[in-house]
Amino acid sequence: MASTTTRRLPLPPSRRAREDEAGAEQTAVEPYRLTPKLARRVAVLSGLVVIGFAALLLRLWALQVLAGSHYAAQAQANQVRTVRVEPPRGQIVDRTGHNVLVTNKLVTAIELWPSGLPKIYAQRVAELRALAHITRVNVRQLTREILAQRAVGDMLDPIVVRPQAPTAMLTYLQERAAAFPGLTLTRSYVRSYPHGDFATQLLGYVGPITPQELPTLGKEGFAPTDVVGQTGIEATYNKYLFGVPGAARVRVDALGRPRSARTLTTQPQPGQTVRLTIDAGLQIAAQNALQYGIQSARNTGEWAADGGAIVAMSPQDGSILALASSPTYDPSVYTGHITTRKLEAQGLVGKSALDKNYPSLDRALDATYPPGSTFKPLTAIAALQEHLIKPYALYPCTGTYVAPEDHSHHVFHNWDPNVNQGMDLPTALAQSCDTYFYRVGNGFYQLPTDRGQPLQKWARAFGFGKASAVDAGPDVPGLVPTIGYKHRRFSRHSGDPNWRIDRIWKPGDSINLAIGQGDLLVTPLQMTRFYAAIANGGKLVTPHVLMNVENPNGTLVPTTPPAAPRPIPGLNPAYLKVVQQGLFEGTHDPLGTSYGVFGNFPIPIAGKTGTAQKVVSLPGFTGEGDQSWWCGYGPVNAPKLVVCVVIENGGHGGTAAAPAAERVFAHFFHVPSAQQGLIHSD
Amino acid sequence: MLEYAGSQRAGLRNEREAPHLLSVVRSIDWILLAGVGALVLVGLWGVAGVTKFAVPNDPTYYLNRQILYAAAGGVALVVAALVDPDLYRRYWRAIFIGTATVIAFVLLIGHAARGSTRWISLGFFTFQPSEFGKLLFVLALAGMLAERQRAVSTWDTTLRVVGLGLLPVTLVFAQPDLGTALVYMAALGAMLFVAGAPWKHLAVLGGLVLVVAVGVLWAGPAAGVSVLKGYQQQRLTCFTHPSTCSVAARYNVEQAITTVGSGEIRGRGPNGATQVNLGFLPESQTDFIFAGFAEQRGFIGAALLLGLYLFVLWRGLRVVTVARDLFSAVVAGGIVVALLFQIFVNVGMTMGIAPITGIPLPFVSVGGSSLIANLAAMGVLLAIHARGRVSRGRRASLSARG
Repeated sequence: MASTTTRRLPLPPSRRAREDEAGAEQTAVEPYRLTPKLARRVAVLSGLVVIGFAALLLRLWALQVLAGSHYAAQAQANQVRTVRVEPPRGQIVDRTGHNVLVTNKLVTAIELWPSGLPKIYAQRVAELRALAHITRVNVRQLTREILAQRAVGDMLDPIVVRPQAPTAMLTYLQERAAAFPGLTLTRSYVRSYPHGDFATQLLGYVGPITPQELPTLGKEGFAPTDVVGQTGIEATYNKYLFGVPGAARVRVDALGRPRSARTLTTQPQPGQTVRLTIDAGLQIAAQNALQYGIQSARNTGEWAADGGAIVAMSPQDGSILALASSPTYDPSVYTGHITTRKLEAQGLVGKSALDKNYPSLDRALDATYPPGSTFKPLTAIAALQEHLIKPYALYPCTGTYVAPEDHSHHVFHNWDPNVNQGMDLPTALAQSCDTYFYRVGNGFYQLPTDRGQPLQKWARAFGFGKASAVDAGPDVPGLVPTIGYKHRRFSRHSGDPNWRIDRIWKPGDSINLAIGQGDLLVTPLQMTRFYAAIANGGKLVTPHVLMNVENPNGTLVPTTPPAAPRPIPGLNPAYLKVVQQGLFEGTHDPLGTSYGVFGNFPIPIAGKTGTAQKVVSLPGFTGEGDQSWWCGYGPVNAPKLVVCVVIENGGHGGTAAAPAAERVFAHFFHVPSAQQGLIHSD
Repeated sequence: MLEYAGSQRAGLRNEREAPHLLSVVRSIDWILLAGVGALVLVGLWGVAGVTKFAVPNDPTYYLNRQILYAAAGGVALVVAALVDPDLYRRYWRAIFIGTATVIAFVLLIGHAARGSTRWISLGFFTFQPSEFGKLLFVLALAGMLAERQRAVSTWDTTLRVVGLGLLPVTLVFAQPDLGTALVYMAALGAMLFVAGAPWKHLAVLGGLVLVVAVGVLWAGPAAGVSVLKGYQQQRLTCFTHPSTCSVAARYNVEQAITTVGSGEIRGRGPNGATQVNLGFLPESQTDFIFAGFAEQRGFIGAALLLGLYLFVLWRGLRVVTVARDLFSAVVAGGIVVALLFQIFVNVGMTMGIAPITGIPLPFVSVGGSSLIANLAAMGVLLAIHARGRVSRGRRASLSARG
């Protein structure tokens, strides 16, 4: 206490000196001072500081001075990314090479990098709302896409807001770029269809690789972002159309967003031009003819006629000149911004497909119908080959037929109940006598088992019951019923209480098969191929649509040619002549079923009508509908074109299908289409 | 045991006369103040470069805010330099309870928001109490040590101080803010060390820390007990076992090292600094700002910054030696070591020689709380120095006159 007091008071010098001396001896009263112990401890702390900073500076020196150039290079490499440059897709042209069927157009896509959106929730929502409003995109869909991308952890790719934006929208956004962080405008190519719904199902459409396709296409070098053909020609000849991708370097930030223009390092090679055997003019004529046929059917009271197909093919080499399928759709829905609403409007998804009668179905290749009377030439050939009938012997054509061996005495009716005369084979074909062929069918049934099933054997020999291997896309095999087929089809597991009876091949099965009914199912393309074989003297052609593939500079790309027409083994040309005569009489004998359509046609056409009963399910009606068929070729002496027409629920072959076929021939031979008097016949 | 002038009498504080304000100003450590001023300027320079492209079309957005914070920090520094540190010693309990309450309050808000929260939003400014806590915690524990100065070498004191100190450490750790909790622990150790706790105590405490660290990092996870959050655990084990570290976990530190290295000697400048501008460097404005600074200003700039830190730390340690009493010495020691720890861990983590923990770089990282709290701490150092010098100066002048 005393010492403190003294320090506060001004003391005489002598006293203060004493105090200081005393303080030196008595540490307890001395003011706080640096003891050796504290000094040691501060020295230890200083040592820590020195060691710590020595470590930091050494490390800094090592990183920046010794290894600086290495890290500088690394930082430089960090920001440069090599990106794939998708090549412009090749064109699809018709057989002339002048009519472009599918090409590309340059569009600007609006893309959004979710990582570039504002961090603050309210601002983010506001930007998305504004963007959705301007681009006329559903904001919910936009949000869903962002969330989906986040779910897979993909931060390096933008979301496509609109793959194809109108110029006004782009200008508006460009002027307000600062208000939309994360938005980029990217130019790209999309498919363009100058002819609209032209052979739509045949040409197919393109789309991003699907997860299902990726394993196989990935092995072929395609990237997950590539746009490839999904159906039709686009898919079949994708390897030619796609081209070779190029490479470009682009500066990116840490999230992969581009921060500079692309610098091409490898030029992309545009896809090759695929030239089809399709004749654009004939295709349009066929499409119009199909609509005309459907309309004709409706005009004659066939209210349910709403679809069909036309195949026009060269009978000599199998090149397809026209392939129409109705109903059809606008392929441009698959370019640009694909929305469910657009697809629904075209009947491409879900229930809308049913409502619109499946526009995406290529009825020429992938739909099967009972052929009806158009199948009779095959029965005729098979019967002649198996010596069941003689070509010019007369067999009764009556109103009804009962198989003599049939104990159930089932009565089979002729389409014309009033006929009762003997007919040779050409006449039976020309007038399409059912009872004549019922008898032939029963003849096949009565054959001893060691003769096998020759009718089915000949059907297969002419290409029925298996896919035609057409290059336009996978086609369906159809069905040629056999004893084995029925046996497999009906079993205790098939849910049919009468399976033990239904599985047996009965006389009626052979009799129905002989007139192209029963379980028999064929595609329009298979029928065309069969009539081509009749026309060309018994050679089975391979239908195809590819003519050649050209490089952008015009040189041809080697392709595998389709298999050459192959003579049908064991076919007697003399028998074929009889059938050809029958088909000619069908169009030129006044009693022939399509005489009214082709009798006065300037070019000699031979052909056969068909009216096939098929159980159909329509709105308000379930029962047997008449599938209207006509198949034939011309000119008869040197056939250049074979045409097959089927019109769903179109009624009689002579009223709907034959007039449509006549229009196709008229366009092909540059003759005016006749004003047709429609006749009511099978 | 260290001795100081008041050791003999408890009533000393009431009789000690406050030095005249003018003499305090005159005896300011101008060298330390100049060092701190230079640090703040270099920090603003760094912020200006690193945040130049952070906000589109507004290159000075962060710089302007940071200048405002620096000004506020300057005020805090002046106030702290003028306040007699003895005041803190007298009211250390109130300081401790207040600090702990605010940190606990933040923790409660965080739990209510079902996430981690280190901030209290004051509208224009988000206030981060744990940053100010660094200083307040040091003041409070130093007060406790000063009160028990006679028994400072007993186990009783050591355990009580550690026990009390662990409360805010636990609160901050639970926020969760592992980095700041570690800073508190470093400061706690430093204060015991400066106060004169026996080596044996320090050795035992050091051993305990080691055992806990081993337990948390290796034994705990092996036994299925995880004290740390997954990411904290991963960062620390990444540092000790880089080979077992996943690519994603290594990404940050590898980008930081590349960023530092790419600066080379002269730096790439704010416009050419692709690692910062293109976002390759994570947290470039806060935790990893040293890397961004090193990229833009090179070895020359980074070494200058480290040199300034070294300078300030040297002057800070000097303040420990001129302190007027045990309390002041302990406070100075705690402040200096907390600063050293933050600098070493932050700079070290950007260069891969310290584990990644979320600690801002003092005086440089963007953020008001950190800058203001650090400047206030420097103010306390200046106050301690000034009063230490004043008392010695008066003693010297008295002696001279005698």
